[in-house]
Amino acid sequence: MDFDPHASTIESSSADGIVHEVQNLGINEESSTNITCFSDVFNDIPIHFQIICFPKQIYAWIGCQTARFGSLYAAASTRPNNIVSVTSLLGGTSDNTGSGIARRIVLKTGVPVTLACNIPKDSPMLEAHVEKKLIQKLIFLGYTKSKPQAVTS
Amino acid sequence: MDDLSTYSFPVRHKKFSVHIKESKVDIVICSYDDQFLVMATQIGTMGTIMHARKEEGMLNTPTFNVSVIFGKRDEPMLLACARQLIEHISISGSLKPLTLSLGLKDHSMEILKGIVSAVIENRLW
Repeated sequence: MDFDPHASTIESSSADGIVHEVQNLGINEESSTNITCFSDVFNDIPIHFQIICFPKQIYAWIGCQTARFGSLYAAASTRPNNIVSVTSLLGGTSDNTGSGIARRIVLKTGVPVTLACNIPKDSPMLEAHVEKKLIQKLIFLGYTKSKPQAVTS
Repeated sequence: MDDLSTYSFPVRHKKFSVHIKESKVDIVICSYDDQFLVMATQIGTMGTIMHARKEEGMLNTPTFNVSVIFGKRDEPMLLACARQLIEHISISGSLKPLTLSLGLKDHSMEILKGIVSAVIENRLW
């Protein structure tokens, strides 16, 4: 079985840290699943991101310092009124660090999300940073929710 | 500054497709520090998600806990698929649990056997 070839592109350091991006460029025309892996640094803490894009769903993993899987959450728009619901599937501390990220990704992209992350609890700045980076990447990958039409009376 | 030339992403993964019964199945296998993740889909979503782990026990014969954590809970063949894979992981010497997602439109034995074979052939354990 052939491995998908990987190519690494390394961007110059930015004010926010060093970002290394490894993209799976072995995507054939028939493949409907794309994998994007990249890393960042926040306050000297290495953060790793893995995004697997399915045609109708996003899976993302966020690793803080280690490559432990962490807690797994699922979020999607549900009835009634397409409000976004989120649930913990595996792990999950009492404050469910990561569940808010999953929920807001669905709000931003309109796509069901399954998120795994091992972000420590009580780290709101870190959580905000990784969410921002993840959403930036999702927008770069083409995930933007169309703005709702203005309601006229 | 870190040596950028030696940087490698800490999670290994493989992505490939197999054709079983004239239907394409996309499969992704990921190896985290403490877990394996296997995703197989025909329908563009992760589908049913299961968790499988080897149980601690005093018996010589290992036992495994396999459960659905999201999705269809009335498809025993999906659990059987997870059971086969966790057993193979255990035989290979790894103690890591498995999270398996199956997004299938066809739950036939042939499809599931094909997925298990393809995953084992491309395993990361």
